[in-house]
Amino acid sequence: MAENTDKMVIDGVELVGIWKEFMPSRILYEDVTTEFLDEVKKLPGGSTIARCYQCGTCTGGCTLPEFVDKFNPRGFINLVRRGHYDILVSDYKDLVWKCVSCNRCTHRCPKGVNTQEVVRAIAKFLEDRKVFGKLTNDEAFDEIFMDEVLTDGRIDEVKIVKDFYSKTGRLKDMMSGDQLSLGFKMFTSGRIKLFGGKIKDWKKVSQRLKEELQ
Amino acid sequence: MKTVLVIGGGVTGLKASHELAQMGYNVSLVEKEDFLGGQVAKHKYYKLAPDMRLVSEVLDPVIKNVESNSNIKVLKHSTITALSGNAPEFKVKIKNSKGEAEETFGAIVVATGFEHFDPTVKQEYGYSRFKDVVTNAEVEELLNPNGPTKGELKRPSDGKIPKKVAIFQCVGSRDKQVGNPYCCRVGCVVSTKQAIEIKEKYPDTEVFVYYMDMRMFGRGWEELYGKAMEEYEVIFTRGRGAEVTLKNEQLSLRAEETIMDRPIQHSVDMIILAAGQAPGDGTIEAAKILGIKQNEYGYLAPKDDFLSPNESSKAGIFIAGADKGPLDVENCIVEGAAVAAKVASSLK
Ligand SMILES: Cc1cc2nc3c(=O)[nH]c(=O)nc-3n(C[C@H](O)[C@H](O)[C@H](O)COP(=O)(O)OP(=O)(O)OC[C@H]3O[C@@H](n4cnc5c(N)ncnc54)[C@H](O)[C@@H]3O)c2cc1C
Ligand code: SF4
Ligand code: SF4
Ligand code: SF4
Repeated sequence: MAENTDKMVIDGVELVGIWKEFMPSRILYEDVTTEFLDEVKKLPGGSTIARCYQCGTCTGGCTLPEFVDKFNPRGFINLVRRGHYDILVSDYKDLVWKCVSCNRCTHRCPKGVNTQEVVRAIAKFLEDRKVFGKLTNDEAFDEIFMDEVLTDGRIDEVKIVKDFYSKTGRLKDMMSGDQLSLGFKMFTSGRIKLFGGKIKDWKKVSQRLKEELQ
Repeated sequence: MKTVLVIGGGVTGLKASHELAQMGYNVSLVEKEDFLGGQVAKHKYYKLAPDMRLVSEVLDPVIKNVESNSNIKVLKHSTITALSGNAPEFKVKIKNSKGEAEETFGAIVVATGFEHFDPTVKQEYGYSRFKDVVTNAEVEELLNPNGPTKGELKRPSDGKIPKKVAIFQCVGSRDKQVGNPYCCRVGCVVSTKQAIEIKEKYPDTEVFVYYMDMRMFGRGWEELYGKAMEEYEVIFTRGRGAEVTLKNEQLSLRAEETIMDRPIQHSVDMIILAAGQAPGDGTIEAAKILGIKQNEYGYLAPKDDFLSPNESSKAGIFIAGADKGPLDVENCIVEGAAVAAKVASSLK
C-alpha cells in the first residue's frame, strides 16, 4: 500500500483519479453572483443589506416562524447576497411578503441592518421580476383596494380578502385551514365585520373622485 | 526624576510596577479598591484559560513581587484627583481616607483596566429579570472553591445544580445596538473554559454554546476549543442568542441554528451571558483628569497604534493593558513589561 493518499496506486491503478470519475459532482450551484445584492441595495429600504453578518438574531426572535414554516429573514438575505435567485423564487417567493412588520428584527439586529425594510425590499425585488404572475401582489391589492373605496367608500374586509385571492388566482389558499381559522378568530374578536355597510350618497362622491383621478 | 506613578493595581499595573522597581525607579502604585489584582481578583476568577492554570499560581507571585519590593509604595483605596505640570515633572494630587496630598513624578503609567459589560440593557436576554440568567463574571465566582457557593454551580433561584446550561456569546460586544461594535477578544475562550469546568465537575450537565464565530486566535485557544467538543461534548451551535423567556417556569431561549436554517426554542436551567469588556469608569475618569485622548469607545488611545503603542497623547504619560481595549491576562503581562521599558527609556 502506498502511503501517499493524494496518489494511491494499487496494481498500477491510480485510485484517486478513478474515484473522481465514479463520484457524481456535488456542485449544486455554480453561478454565485452579486448582481441581485446590488439590485436589492438600490431598492427603497434595501441599502443596509450588506451590513448583515448572518448571526440569526432576526430569525431567532422573529414573530413569524412559529406560524409560517421556513420564514427566515436571515436566510432571505443570504440567498440574495449569494445570488441564489432560483432558490429564492422556488422555495420562498410566497413567504417573503408575509412579514408582519413587527420590527423585532430591526430593533435587535446587532449589526445595524434595518431587517424589516430589507425583507420588504426583497419582496419588492421579487415582485419587480413578476414572479407572482401577471399582477404582483402589491398591484393586485392596490387595484382591489381602490376599486372598493371608489364603489362603496368603505372597506369590506371579507370581500377585499376574497377579491385579492381570486385576483391572484389563489382562492384555494384562502380556503386553507389556517386562513379560515385566522379569519374566524379575527371575526370573533371583532377585528373584522362580515359586511362593510354603505355610505349615504356615496355615488356622488364616487363620481367626483373618479373625475379627480382621471 | 526617578519616580513613577502607576495608576491601577490589576495584572498590568502590578507587572509594570515590579519591572520599574527592578530597574531602580521609585514607584507609587495607586489602586482605588482595597485589594490588588484588578478584575481577576474582584470576580474571584479561579482558573485561567487556556491552560486551566489556577489564578493563584499566576496572580499571587505578581502581587508578592510588588508588596515585597521596597521601591514600591502601594496606596490602596486611593485615586488621583488633579494633575499639573509637564513631563518630566508632573504634580499629582492623590486622595485617600487619610486626606489629599500632592506628589511629584517623572512619569505616569495608566493601567486602569476595564469593566464587565452590564447586560441589563439587553432586555431581551432577561438579565436581572430572571435569576438564573447570569454573567460569565458571576460564573467565575460560582466556580471558585473559595467563592460564595464553595465552587458549586448552584443556580441563584433555588440552589440546584443545572442539568442544562446555555451560554450566549458576544453579549454587549459586536453589537451596534449598545454602541460596542468591537469584539471582546476573551469571551470565546472564557466560555469554552467555563464549559469545560462545568462538564468536568458535572459530567451529566449538558452545555450548549450559542455563537456567531468562535474566535480562538490566542495561544492554545483553538486546541481548547477542540478539547471542549471532543472530550467534553460541549455542543456549539452557530446562531446568536435572540431572546430569553419563561415557559412553564423554565428558562426558554430562542435563536436560529443558522447552519440548519432553523429557528429553535430551547429550554434550559441556566443561561450564562458571555458579557464583554467595556472601558471602566475608572479609566474614563483618569483620562479626564490626565487630559489624555480616548478612542471613540472610551478606551485610551495610543499616540500611534503601531509605532508607539504604550504612549498616550501626552508626553510622559504612558498607557497599558485592558484600558486600551479588551485583552487577556497573558498579554496584559506583556503590556506591563513593555510599558516599563518605555518609561525607563524616556526617563534616563
Ligand atoms: C469573565 C472574564 C473572564 C476572564 N478570564 C480570563 C482567563 O481565563 N484568561 C485570561 O487570560 N484572561 C481572562 N480575562 C481577561 C482579564 O480579566 C483581563 O485581561 C485582565 O483583568 C486585565 O488586567 P488589567 O490590569 O489591564 O485591568 P483590570 O484587571 O481591570 O485592573 C485595573 C485596576 O485598576 C483599578 N482602577 C481603575 N481605575 C482606577 C482609578 N481611576 N484610580 C485607581 N485605580 C483604578 C481597578 O480597580 C483595577 O484594580 C477574563 C475576562 C473576563 C471578562
Ligand atoms: S440580526 Fe441583522 S446581522 Fe443578524 S442575521 Fe439578521 S439582519 Fe443579519
Ligand atoms: S418585521 Fe418581519 S421579519 Fe422582522 S421580526 Fe417582524 S415579522 Fe419577522
Ligand atoms: S471574543 Fe467571542 S464572545 Fe467576545 S465578542 Fe469576540 S466573538 Fe464574541
